[in-house]
Amino acid sequence: MEEIRRIREELSKKLGEDLEVLLPARRYETAGEISRRCLRRREERLTLTDMLDHVFLHRALGIPIFLALMYAVFQFAYSVSEPFMVMLEAAFGWLGSLAGEAETPLASLWADGICGGLGFVLVFIFPIFFLFFALAILEDSGYLPRAAFVMDRLMYRLGLHGRSFIPLLLGFGCNLPAIMATRVIDDERDRLITILVNPLMSCSARLPVYVLLAGAFFGAYAGAAIFSMYVLGIALAILMALLFRKTIPQLRGKPAPFILELPPYLRPTLRSVLLKTWQRGVVFLKKAATILFAGALALWALSSFPWGAPLEATYAGMLGHALEPLLRPLGFDWMAAVALFFGFLAKEIVVETFGILYGVAGEEEIQAAVAAHMTPVTAFAFMAFTLIYLPCLATFGIIRAETGSWKWTLFAVAYELALAYAVAATIVAFGSIVWG
Amino acid sequence: MIRVALIGNPNVGKTVIFNHLTGARQYVGNWPGVTVEKKVGRCTHRGVEMEVVDLPGVYSLTARSPDELIARDYIVEEKPDVVVDIVDASNLERNLYLTLLLLELEANVVVALNMMDVAASEGYEVDAGMLSKLLGVPVVPCVATRGEGIEALKDAIVDAATRKERRRVAFGFGDEIEDAIKRVEAVLSRSGSEELSRYPLRWLAIKLLEGDERVEALVSKFV
Repeated sequence: MEEIRRIREELSKKLGEDLEVLLPARRYETAGEISRRCLRRREERLTLTDMLDHVFLHRALGIPIFLALMYAVFQFAYSVSEPFMVMLEAAFGWLGSLAGEAETPLASLWADGICGGLGFVLVFIFPIFFLFFALAILEDSGYLPRAAFVMDRLMYRLGLHGRSFIPLLLGFGCNLPAIMATRVIDDERDRLITILVNPLMSCSARLPVYVLLAGAFFGAYAGAAIFSMYVLGIALAILMALLFRKTIPQLRGKPAPFILELPPYLRPTLRSVLLKTWQRGVVFLKKAATILFAGALALWALSSFPWGAPLEATYAGMLGHALEPLLRPLGFDWMAAVALFFGFLAKEIVVETFGILYGVAGEEEIQAAVAAHMTPVTAFAFMAFTLIYLPCLATFGIIRAETGSWKWTLFAVAYELALAYAVAATIVAFGSIVWG
Repeated sequence: MIRVALIGNPNVGKTVIFNHLTGARQYVGNWPGVTVEKKVGRCTHRGVEMEVVDLPGVYSLTARSPDELIARDYIVEEKPDVVVDIVDASNLERNLYLTLLLLELEANVVVALNMMDVAASEGYEVDAGMLSKLLGVPVVPCVATRGEGIEALKDAIVDAATRKERRRVAFGFGDEIEDAIKRVEAVLSRSGSEELSRYPLRWLAIKLLEGDERVEALVSKFV
């Protein structure tokens, strides 16, 4: 056996490629050659699909095209939704003001809790729906399998299976169905790695946090700042997958090779695109009616009682101050600490918390208020921290269910917390060097 | 009675051909140890009784997916008399990959070149004679949805099962790899293991070079 292993390693070194990839590749060449000799085209015609594939599957251009398309998707979701968000925000502001001065608990609940908190999150329905709309167009056009194909070469080298791509991409919508979708991966190790890194794919619940902070700090570059979070998530997912492959004995080994069928390109139909957008977007509305609503009530209560106390002395203030020392090195204040604490329930709650806390503190413009509490560098660090730090409660549950192991579930939580802290600290340290 | 296994990529019309071959005489069970459905049917052609087993639809024969392993184990361990490889004529290149793997396994392959009508509607003509010459196995063109070519396929199965001499075509991987295959084969035959001689030598060597976990575990018991 030793000798056989030696022959294998020698050969692999000589040819400079993995034999597990190379031998099947040679077989494909043979298959291609045989098929070319047996096929006759009655008429020479290049189909539209062939032409598009020449461009989209190009060895050098494929990945830049994929990134450019994704960038366009996020730019689109952000810019198109902005005017709608402003209008809805104004509407909630007006509704809140109907309660008059928020001096009684009931008036405060209406103005600060419901309109200021829940209403504040509901505004983000626009970027979420537009994001799903754009992704549905890419999906229905037949581009997504191409993206998986283009990424497979890169991902294989980095220790991820080609089939991991679709579950990872689904993670942009919501990590929960994305993790369930890992069932398409046959190899147990490939599957476990894909589950572990999936929460790093930035789900739509994190989008409100980015939109809020990027809008407040990065002006014309807001779209780019949001896009950078998605790229950061992808980069970290790939990096972590590679790290886990190399360091964790149960996960060692190579991803299995991957065969993918590429369907012909189709013109997306409006009906199907709208249907998909609605099916995915409605999850956010359901969430708003349940957990986000409950979260708003709880947060309002915590930040309003003991009644009449200054904000810092309320229960939320106490909790925030207790957590603050942990996050002080990253430049996050106690309000950010409270936001992150409750963000575990659902990441939209981070935004809700800002809405309620600043609202109770009596500040008018939330974005201006946020800007007064953070610098662009800490805001960017906070976005990254929100991206990474914990899977939300529901994702936590599905990781437990799909891995069937508490050990892996807790491992996912632990590594993400550590990674979030490290990345945010790096951003802050780097930022303070560059901008003093 | 001759034992026939049906194999092919997903969506090549395997089930349709299975139904044509066996008619109502089929029963369904599970493959041992897994929840993958196993369909078996019988028929008689020119006085010869055959038992047809429907293997899972697969693209390749690695040890990494349960379906592929079932298909491969059946061919390696049960050694059916004939393996009918159903090839989608409109997707020839991708389908031939599996055919090449079956030839590596030294299975007694009959290619059913299905979906000739789809290939034609896409503007292709497939030269079945040339394909048979290049692969070294019988090739039967069919349009299973219309029942065309099924009788010819049954003839080819019976012929293949009773034929003594088989022409073998080996598909090379290039000089360096072929050289390594020879060296691994030499190591394997030196072991003189009775157990290993049940498997095609070249196939074992190729799988070892590819790092196939199952074959590695098997061989490491004897070498």
